[in-house]
Amino acid sequence: MAGKVTSYYLAEDSVPLPPPDAEVFTTACDYCIVGCGYKVYRWPIGREGGPKASQNALRVDFPTAIMSGGWVSPNMHNIIMVNGRLHHVVVMPDKDAKVVNVGGNHSIRGGVLAKKLYNPNEPSQDRLRQPMMRVRGTLQEVSWDTAMGVMAGISKHVLDKHGEHAWAMKTYSYQYFENTYAISKLAFRAIGTPAYSPHDKPGPGPDTPGIDFSGINPFSASYDDWGEAEVIFFSGVDPWETKSVLFTSWIMGGKTPNKKLVFALPRKTSGVAYGEKRGGLFLPVIPGTDTVLQLAIIRLILENGWEDKEFIARKVSNKWEIGSGMGRGTRNTPWQWVTTWGKYGTDFEGYKKWILSYTYAELERAAKITGVPAADIRKTAEILAKPKPDGTRKKTSFMLEKGNYWCNSFGNTASFAALGLVCGAGSRPGRVISRGGGHQRGWMGAAHYPRALSPEKAPGRRKKEIDLDRWVVDGHVRFAWVIGTTWCQAMAASQELMDVFQRLTRRNPHQIESFDVDTAVDALKRRVDAGGMVVAHQDIYPVSPIGTEYSDLILPAATWGEEDFTRCNGERRLRLYSKFADPPGEARPDWWIIAAFARKMGFKGFDWKDSNQIFEEAARFGRNGVLNYHPLVVKAKREGKRGHELLREYGTEGIQTPIRMVKGELVGTKRLHDETLELGTPEGPTMHRKWLTSFGTQSGKAVLLKSYWEDFKDFYDRVTPQGDELWVTNGRINELWQSGYDDKRRPYIMQRWPQQFLEIHPKDAGARGIESGDLVAIENDDLLVQTGGYIGVDGKEQTFTELMKAGRIKKSKGSFTAVAMVTDAVREGVTFAYFGFPENPANSVVHRVPDPLTNRYRYKLGKGKLKKIGESPHKHSLTSLSFVPRTL
Amino acid sequence: MTQEAKETRPCISRRAFLLAGGTAMSIVLVEGIPGLAGAALQRAEYPRKKIGRLSALKVDTPQYFLYPWKDVFSGCMLVKLGARAGGGVGPGRDVVAFSTLCTHMGGPLQGTYNAQHKAIGPCPFHLTTFDLMKHGMVGAGQATESLPQVVLETRGDDIYAIGMMGLIYGYHSNLAPVQR
Repeated sequence: MAGKVTSYYLAEDSVPLPPPDAEVFTTACDYCIVGCGYKVYRWPIGREGGPKASQNALRVDFPTAIMSGGWVSPNMHNIIMVNGRLHHVVVMPDKDAKVVNVGGNHSIRGGVLAKKLYNPNEPSQDRLRQPMMRVRGTLQEVSWDTAMGVMAGISKHVLDKHGEHAWAMKTYSYQYFENTYAISKLAFRAIGTPAYSPHDKPGPGPDTPGIDFSGINPFSASYDDWGEAEVIFFSGVDPWETKSVLFTSWIMGGKTPNKKLVFALPRKTSGVAYGEKRGGLFLPVIPGTDTVLQLAIIRLILENGWEDKEFIARKVSNKWEIGSGMGRGTRNTPWQWVTTWGKYGTDFEGYKKWILSYTYAELERAAKITGVPAADIRKTAEILAKPKPDGTRKKTSFMLEKGNYWCNSFGNTASFAALGLVCGAGSRPGRVISRGGGHQRGWMGAAHYPRALSPEKAPGRRKKEIDLDRWVVDGHVRFAWVIGTTWCQAMAASQELMDVFQRLTRRNPHQIESFDVDTAVDALKRRVDAGGMVVAHQDIYPVSPIGTEYSDLILPAATWGEEDFTRCNGERRLRLYSKFADPPGEARPDWWIIAAFARKMGFKGFDWKDSNQIFEEAARFGRNGVLNYHPLVVKAKREGKRGHELLREYGTEGIQTPIRMVKGELVGTKRLHDETLELGTPEGPTMHRKWLTSFGTQSGKAVLLKSYWEDFKDFYDRVTPQGDELWVTNGRINELWQSGYDDKRRPYIMQRWPQQFLEIHPKDAGARGIESGDLVAIENDDLLVQTGGYIGVDGKEQTFTELMKAGRIKKSKGSFTAVAMVTDAVREGVTFAYFGFPENPANSVVHRVPDPLTNRYRYKLGKGKLKKIGESPHKHSLTSLSFVPRTL
Repeated sequence: MTQEAKETRPCISRRAFLLAGGTAMSIVLVEGIPGLAGAALQRAEYPRKKIGRLSALKVDTPQYFLYPWKDVFSGCMLVKLGARAGGGVGPGRDVVAFSTLCTHMGGPLQGTYNAQHKAIGPCPFHLTTFDLMKHGMVGAGQATESLPQVVLETRGDDIYAIGMMGLIYGYHSNLAPVQR
């Protein structure tokens, strides 16, 4: 990563302490799903607190004790502007936290939050501060009025002449309820466009369809459940690397600290090493083969009679319940695809019969396909499901993430859900089936995605969500508003996508040549009418290339700490994220920018004065969902308070949604599908949805879904590396967050990860003359890209085989460079890169052929050939990029 | 550099220390680098303490000592890595010393030295590791600062601790005027 700072870190040996009268704000971490509670101490520059408890706002004596949670590290301090005056700020984990990050635990990411704050003398100085417009090729400052005038002018033209399908948005799905509510109100209600996609996939829809269709909410668990579990099966995730505090506080701790951990991953990481030392198991699965692995484990469990018979009888659908409720919803739902056509959904006896005769589930065959030794698969079945000697069952829980569902989204998740269900998990304390989560849960939709308008359709009468990338590439988008995401590098076949953006924007002859709004709009009209595209990018930093290269308009956003915001973490815990700093320059919160544009367009209902008004308005729209906080807003009104202010009283602890009202008080919901929950009579605004105490199906019972390897095998066989190609998979690493947008501005992080890296097995490295520290090129000249294929009519034309036959799969190329890290942590034949270094995009070598059922990319199944192209400066440096293995 | 100059309290340029890596630098005096005054320099008044002898060090065999003070937060480790290291002293520039309190939440790192990878950890609390070849940079982990490195100099066979790079866990200032 060509960082914004050098990779030299100069450590401080002191830090200012907040004086006793420092102002205190509560917030939660801006980054991963765990959302640890943080406190912010703020005071004007010119003085500091002292080391005695009476002399500082922390009420702590310095030096502070081990594990006190009271230590302030220099990276927790910064200088910010507040109402135009310089202030010290300390952002530190809440040492008094009783939930989530108990006792002030924190990750390296959250621990350095303070350094993300805008400080003109620090690397965060390149925050976007004013709207800009590209005039004669150069991005230059303009007023908000000019920017909005041009946006509205070209938008009206696109909508009038090319239709709402040509007006697109690609935005984060998580950056606070107030913003996503405004985004969805504009996109889905005011404009009504189906050309919408969240940041991490080409279109809306479920990530974990097999879990959802089984009736299980992918965020049903609470952190107490992971703490109480005696055994946890992890598929495609090491939470230590990706949601640190969930691991260090709840998996290493919790009610049952001495757990057995089983990990199915192609790569060994820190949490795996910890698990192995404590009697756990590492299953080094070949990328993409999780379905076969999970089926083999289920089959062994059933062969041995280790399934949870009592639970299955009580909680899993029988053959009458499978079909109840006319397929559990109206037609056009994706549910119908897998549940009512007889092929997938089945009762337990049907499932057992199927799997015992399904040859891909045979142990030896599975061992060969997955690369996991048969003995370890057998041992896994025993660890997960074999009852204790006294006949009681272990509390076994199941966590999955993208390594599982971004290979084969339906097959992997359906078999994962089935594995959990036969072990008796899903509805009881310590026995849960859930995602670990990636980013936090900040989507509060004002309206549903207009699926009926989507240009895509599966066979039958089933509409499906758009694949926006393909829609752009095929030339259907004329205006794209991008908010808070690194579009091209975040998507598959990144470089191929960049070529298209370049052609549609900068290489189009029609460019803005005047700051006059009407003249500028006229130029853009000529562009879109000639088949080109206009791009506006709204973010906190300049983002390359979507902002810096392709955009005609840049809109500077205010972010975490610069506005009062709300959202939930991975156990649905709602908190207020306080404003405590001025945004830089003219930067404005995203909701404000959306509202300003909507008013320019003449849309009604965008007259919000502050973010609290949106929070209160949005509450009504989330009432039926798992993030329902409507009762909190009702209670606030009763007490004459603002919604945000009542939530602020809940501090860093917040309250778990869906929120209920019991005897006038607000009560949180620990877990979903909770058979131990006593609901009583619904009171006031309380919504008693069935899935609070049962599974999310018509019958309230879970559905076992068959998962056929054949559904995926055609694609898998085609993308399996041949000759000297290697798998190039990718994922997260503990010390970095997302695209590194903040990390690039932190010398402390940049010394550790100054650029993209690639883990390579010693045998693969040796064969290519590659050593740790060498710079390698990774090239895939057999990159598959789908074009067209929006409409399915008969049965199979959207399968990979049929798409190939129809000529809809073309070959392209992709490449990136990385610093080699030779390690046996990855299995032979597999390499691993970080998913989000925008300067060296690992997704460049990932095929852009979405799963036909869900339109999800198989991000983890890239491939390429490796070539050493020299030595990186880090090979012999003593100050940058550590080569210490993560598995000590 | 005169003997008198060495005897005065040294002011360490942390930048010079870091950038010099393992080259032939054991101490830089403020007087020695004209023009490097200001933000890059921090006035340091660390004690100068003899902590060992080069001839008594065996590769990969850590020795423990207290520095800069004598309290529980001053636990440090001296080790000869057997390979050139950032900030290393001795003929092979491979002798380094670090605080043994994890900069995440103060976990004890004594006894976790990893000879194969020249690292320390994982910390028993939350599994952080540090790279002793590269100035205590976090290898994998949750710490928000590198492991504080003891600035060393040698005089003949004797090894002296003369300063600290980085804030020691527990302190708000390594040099704060508190009762010790």
